[in-house]
Amino acid sequence: MKRYAVFQFLFNILLFCTVGHLSLCHAQAVSAVDSSVPAAHSDRLALIRERGAIIIGVKTDYAPYGMLNNAGAPVGFEHDLAEDIATRLGVKLRKVSVTGSNRLQKLQDGTVDLVLATTGDTAERRKIATMIEPGYYASGVTLFMRPDAPIKNWTDTRSKPVCATQGSYFNRAMQQRYLMDLQMYNNDRDAKLAVKDGRCIGYLFDDTAVNNDLASPEWRGYKAPLPATLNTPWSIAISMKEKGTEFEQLLGDIVADWHRSGFLQEKEKSWGIPPSKFLSQTDALWQKMDDDGQPYCRRMRDGQWRAECRNQVFLTSADVGGLAQLGLWLNEATGINLTPVYDSFDRAQFLHGLVVSVFLTFLCIVCSLLFGWIGAVCGESGVFLLAPLARCGATLGRMTPPLLSIYLIFFGLGSVLSKAWGISLPAFAVVVGCLSIYTGAGVMTAILEAAAAYRLQHPDFQLRFTNAWQLARLASGSVTASLINVSKATMMASVIAVPELLSATTTIIAERGNVGVMMNILLLVFLALVFVVVRTLRYLEQKMLVKVA
Amino acid sequence: MGAHEMFGQLLTWTPYLLGGFALNILISLVAMLIGTGIGWTLAALRLSAHPRRVRVSLILTEFSRSIPTIVFQFYLAFMLPAEILLPFSKTIINFPVWIKASLALAIAVIGFTSDNLTIAMDQWKKGNHNAAFLFIPSWTSYALIIVMASSTASIIGVSELLSRCNTVINATGDTQLMLPIYLYACLFFFCFCYPLTMLMKKISRTLAKSLLPKN
Repeated sequence: MKRYAVFQFLFNILLFCTVGHLSLCHAQAVSAVDSSVPAAHSDRLALIRERGAIIIGVKTDYAPYGMLNNAGAPVGFEHDLAEDIATRLGVKLRKVSVTGSNRLQKLQDGTVDLVLATTGDTAERRKIATMIEPGYYASGVTLFMRPDAPIKNWTDTRSKPVCATQGSYFNRAMQQRYLMDLQMYNNDRDAKLAVKDGRCIGYLFDDTAVNNDLASPEWRGYKAPLPATLNTPWSIAISMKEKGTEFEQLLGDIVADWHRSGFLQEKEKSWGIPPSKFLSQTDALWQKMDDDGQPYCRRMRDGQWRAECRNQVFLTSADVGGLAQLGLWLNEATGINLTPVYDSFDRAQFLHGLVVSVFLTFLCIVCSLLFGWIGAVCGESGVFLLAPLARCGATLGRMTPPLLSIYLIFFGLGSVLSKAWGISLPAFAVVVGCLSIYTGAGVMTAILEAAAAYRLQHPDFQLRFTNAWQLARLASGSVTASLINVSKATMMASVIAVPELLSATTTIIAERGNVGVMMNILLLVFLALVFVVVRTLRYLEQKMLVKVA
Repeated sequence: MGAHEMFGQLLTWTPYLLGGFALNILISLVAMLIGTGIGWTLAALRLSAHPRRVRVSLILTEFSRSIPTIVFQFYLAFMLPAEILLPFSKTIINFPVWIKASLALAIAVIGFTSDNLTIAMDQWKKGNHNAAFLFIPSWTSYALIIVMASSTASIIGVSELLSRCNTVINATGDTQLMLPIYLYACLFFFCFCYPLTMLMKKISRTLAKSLLPKN
C-alpha cells in the first residue's frame, strides 16, 4: 500500500522519540559487567565428573530431532547436541530414551542428569524444572491443511471446525484467540485422517512435526502456509535443585556458544530440516557485538543474561527498566497485561491503528457530506435523467448494508476488474467510498426532506450548490446524526484487511492472549473517539447555525 | 460461465441464502425487542419527577448512543462465554453467537427508543395520541436500519446472509459467482426494506395529516 508510506513515515518520526527514550532506559539498567560470575557449587556436576559420563534423556519418536535409524540406533539433531555437551565436558555420553510424558519425571527422580528432548520452555514447566536459557531451537503452532483449503490467515479460522489433539498446551490459547471451533481427537493419526476426509479445515499442531509430515509421500500436496504462532523456545532441562549453580551456567554458556558459532544452523542443515526463523534470528542476536568489542548478549552482574537476550515471556519487572518495568510490574501484581503501553511493537501497532481509524473517520465524514450535498442538488435539479438517477441512487444506497457493498465492490467487482484489466482496488478507498455512499444517501434524504419542508413557506425555493445553507437549520439535526453513525461504522474496514484499530487489536490479542485488557482498551478508545467526533460535530453545527442566522 | 448456468447456481442456493436472511431478521427482531424494553424504562425515567432519575437515564442514553455496535459485538463475542452454568443447579444456558450479535445491536436500539419514546410518551400524556403513534413508523424504519446492520454479525461468525454468500463462493470455488451472488444478496435486502419503507412513509403521512386540523 503505497498510500500508507508517507503516513507511516510521519508516524515513525512521531514514535521515534518515545522508543528512543525507552532504549536509553534499558542502557542505564544494564551497565557492563564482567562475564565470569562466580556461581554456586553443583553436586550434579561433581557427580558427572566422578562418574566420567553424563546421562542425557533424549527422544527417539520425533524425527528428525530424535529417532531410530535403519540399524535401530538412536540418532538425530538433538543427539548431535548431546554428543557435543559430553565432548565439551570431557566425559562419555550415555543416552536414555524418554517420552513427552515422562521426561521431566526422570529428571526429578535423578535417572538422567539433563533432558534434551524437544521440551518447550513454558511457565508450567519452570515450576518443576530448571530451564536453561537461551533455548536451542523453537517450535510454534501451525495448521496442517488439505491441498484445496481456502484458509489464507489465522483469522479465517474463526468459528470453523479445526482438529486438534487433546492435551496440547496451545489448544486453549488458540481457541480463545481465534474463536475457532476445536474438535479434539485422541491422537494425531485420527486428527490427520479427519483433515483428509474434510471433517475439519485443518489440524492444529507443532510446526516442526507438521513440516516432517509434509515431507512424507503420504501427504503429498498437503500444506501448512500459515505462519507459526505461539512460538516457544526448546530448552535443556535440569533438576529444580540445580537452579543458579555452575551446572546451569555451564550449560547456558554451551548453548550460547552454539548460537555464536553457527553450530545449530549447521546441524539443522545436515539433518535436512528447513531453516527455522528462530535460529537465524537468535544466532544473529547472539553474534552481535557491543561498541566495546564485547558480545552484546553477556551475563550481567546477577549472573543472568542481558534481558534482551532472554526468553521474553519470562522476564520479570526486575530485569528491565522504564515503562516496560511499570507494565510488567502491573502484570505481575494484578494480571493486567497492558502490552500496548509497555511493549514498543504493540504500541506502534496500536497507535498506527488509531491514526488509520481517525483518518478513516475524517475522510468518511467529509465524503458523506460531499456526496449528500451533490446528490441533493442533482436530485432537485429537475434535469432530465440526472434527477431521477440521483434519487434512485440514494434509495439503493440506503437499502444496501455497507458491509455488503464493501464485499460487492472489493471482491465482486474487484475480481472482474483484475481479470479483465489487471486492476486491483485499494482497500482503504473502497471502504471510504462504500461508507460514504451509504451515509451520503442518508444525508441527501435529510436535505431533500428539509427542502420540501422549506418550500411550504418559500414556494419558489430551488436548491442549488450556492443556496444549500438556507436549509441548514432544518437539516442539521439528522445530518449530524448520520455523520456520527458513520464514525461508529469505520471498523468495518477490518474485513478487507485495512490496518485500523479493530484489526490492530485482534492482532495483538492473537499474539499476546490478553483478550480482556485489549477489548476493554478498544472499547474505551472507541468511546473516546466517538465522543470527540460528537463534540466536534455539535460545535461546528452550532457555529454554522449562528453564522446562518 | 453462461448466464443460464449462473442463474441455475443462484436458484440452487436460494433456500440456503433465504435461511441466512431469516437469521438476519431474527437477530434484528430480538435486538429490537431487548432494546425497546430497556429503552422504554429509560424513557419512563426521563419523564420522572425526580431529577436524579432523569440524570441517570440521560447518562445511560448518552452511553448507548456512543457505543459502536461493531466493537461491542466483538467485545461480547470475546468476553461472554459460549455457555453459562447456572449457580445451584445443573442447567447450562447456551449463548449462541447470534444472540451476542443481537445484544450488541440492542445497545443502539436502547438509545433510539429512549430518545423517541420520551417524545411519544410526552405527547400521549398531553392527549395528542396521533402524534404519539408517529413512534410506530419511525420504530419500524429503525428496525430496517438494524436489519441492514445485522449483516455485520458475519464478522463474528454468525451464519447469516452475507456469511452464507461467502460460504457458497468457497463451496463452489467459483470466483465468477462473486459479483452475481453479492448483487443477489443486495436484492434480498432491497425487496425486504423498500415495500416496508414505502408503507411506513404512507402511515406517517396519514398520521401527520390527521394532526393538521387540530393544530
